[in-house]
Amino acid sequence: MIRILDIAFKDLLQLLRDFKTFMFLLIMPILFTFLFGYAFGGFGGGGDSRLPVGYLSQDNHWVTDSLHELLSESELISLNENVFLSQADLEQRVADGDLAAVIIVPDGYGRAMLKNKSARLIVIADSDSSAWTSIEAELLKISSRLDSAVRTATIIERLDAERMPFDYAFEQSLAAWKDPPIAVTETKSPAVEKTSDSGAALAHTAPGMMLQFAIAGLLTAAQIIVTERKSRTLQRLLTTSTRRIDVALGHFLAIFLLIFTQFLILITFGQLALKVDYLREPAAIALVAFSAALCISSLGLLIGIIAQSEEQAISFSLIPMFVFSGLGGAWVPLEFTGETFRAIGHVSPVAWGMDGFENIVARGLGFDSVLLPAAALMGYALLFFSIAVWRLYAAEEK
Amino acid sequence: MEALLAIEVLNLHKSFGENLAVQGVSFEVGQGEIFSLLGPNGAGKTTTISMLSCLLRPDQGDARIMGHSIRSDGTGVKSALGVVPQDIALYEDLTARENLSFWGKMYGLRGAALKKRVDEVLDVIGLRERANERVGKYSGGMKRRVNIGVALLHKPKVIYMDEPTVGIDPQSRRNILDSVVALKEQGMTVLYTTHYMEEAQELSNQVGIMDHGKMIACGTHEELVKLVGGQTRIDLTLSVDPLKVLEAWQGIEGVEHASVEDGQICLLVADSNLVLPRLFEAATRQSARITSVDIREPNLEAVFLHLTGRALRD
Repeated sequence: MIRILDIAFKDLLQLLRDFKTFMFLLIMPILFTFLFGYAFGGFGGGGDSRLPVGYLSQDNHWVTDSLHELLSESELISLNENVFLSQADLEQRVADGDLAAVIIVPDGYGRAMLKNKSARLIVIADSDSSAWTSIEAELLKISSRLDSAVRTATIIERLDAERMPFDYAFEQSLAAWKDPPIAVTETKSPAVEKTSDSGAALAHTAPGMMLQFAIAGLLTAAQIIVTERKSRTLQRLLTTSTRRIDVALGHFLAIFLLIFTQFLILITFGQLALKVDYLREPAAIALVAFSAALCISSLGLLIGIIAQSEEQAISFSLIPMFVFSGLGGAWVPLEFTGETFRAIGHVSPVAWGMDGFENIVARGLGFDSVLLPAAALMGYALLFFSIAVWRLYAAEEK
Repeated sequence: MEALLAIEVLNLHKSFGENLAVQGVSFEVGQGEIFSLLGPNGAGKTTTISMLSCLLRPDQGDARIMGHSIRSDGTGVKSALGVVPQDIALYEDLTARENLSFWGKMYGLRGAALKKRVDEVLDVIGLRERANERVGKYSGGMKRRVNIGVALLHKPKVIYMDEPTVGIDPQSRRNILDSVVALKEQGMTVLYTTHYMEEAQELSNQVGIMDHGKMIACGTHEELVKLVGGQTRIDLTLSVDPLKVLEAWQGIEGVEHASVEDGQICLLVADSNLVLPRLFEAATRQSARITSVDIREPNLEAVFLHLTGRALRD
């Protein structure tokens, strides 16, 4: 065991003396997080002081479009329209306090309203929260405005057609207000904080770049292993009482510590500087970071063992970086792609890492949501590590 | 009383596919002796060393290092020996002190004992003053010294040195040869591989000559020289293509072997005084002028030539 630590310490000493380590593990991911964050969401500056309210439309009607227009113009609420989030996701975000409420426009809302039938918006909110009173008043105002416009237009149209007496028309108008136009579903939530579009973009790009450059950073670690083998230093190590498995574990531990530290630094940076809310579920984020670091470290060990030269070590690090990152949604969210590509994308461990991080920082889900991604990443870690050790022992007689 | 054996090699075999790298090699080295394995590149020296270091498992045969079998007691073997590989097996981005400290840990040294031993080895290899410089910045000779220093850290009983003087300047080479003799004087047993005949001749109590994976001769320098039966080696340079006179010289009485190497004609003769005038006569008949003559007493190179029909450097 102590020899494993000695080898890991020696590797870390070598890695920390190589500028490329800092370049790939810290500088590049921060730069690219800003670049991709700007490309996807921009950095509006100034912030949005309105209350964040989720919006999910299940109806495709011009009346619903008018409702959306009125809501968008509100000075009190800011619509959060993440098309990737399901009703359950949105409800969870209300429960977690990321959204003040969620407005769901049910299918047939527009048609029902035109036919003077009961047309009600579904609103998920915590009625005990301080924000709710304001939101309820705003929603009632907007929906009533829309409703009255539709009803008035309908009544005028009918009056004109049937020459109906005014008293009857007035009674009809008054009766139409018996049912309120919104229905509220109760959800308990913590205090709501403001959100912005750039925050949503960074919630995707920050984990994406972190994972991508963790793989890119493997080239320095892999080069150390290749050089050790090429210079016959590995052979010399094996003339001491050090076993091959000790050598493999020592290298693995060094890469793991480096990448896990990289994750911790970038998560802290993301939390403090980019306002990506990693710490909403610290245990879940720690689990994803730990399993992703295990997976990438095993990949690094495998690359170091199969690469025959320093040049190959660079290629073998950069190729999976591009393939796994592109396929796994580190650049463009997999939600933007079709179902088939999304399934193929999950061949890449990066997709599982993205799922894990985004379930917390973008989708607002809880600890349970990262268990499957973490298990998948650990499965990859076991696979890569097993192949690496097998290759190390297979090379014995060459 | 029989001397204690440090190394006892019994009928080692190793092949890589069709390539029979080592075929039935056996030899013995007494404690405190220097044994040189001499042979051209590809003779099987490094493969033999690798088996003795427990890096390769022999297909057949066994060896005992200070009584520990390479087949059944790898840990005992590894604790008894230090290995100086042919390549500079060091971490170039670490300093000499960091390298020695790391390797000391790999040999099981810790704490104050490790620090003390690192300082002692730095003194032995003469690099105490530059111990905190990265090895990558050292000259080839300095790297070689650190390479040797690593093998001395745990005070092994037996040390293997695999062609430690390849590719270095004469002064560094001299230093290394002196340090090998010093190790012997400290009571260490040294197994030294080389393809430089002079090194084997200068250093060794015994020499084993290997070729094509086989031990073709083994003994003291004197014993090996006797194998050539007192033959003298004569190297001659001519003003014309040596092949023009080679055939004529091969037929001269007293010439037991003739070959062309590096533009020279190399002869093994029974009596140089008798043969030399005949060589001049034959050259004159072929209108060739002899421009240099180098007469050498029987040595290991002559032994190799005698046994294989090839020069050691081929």
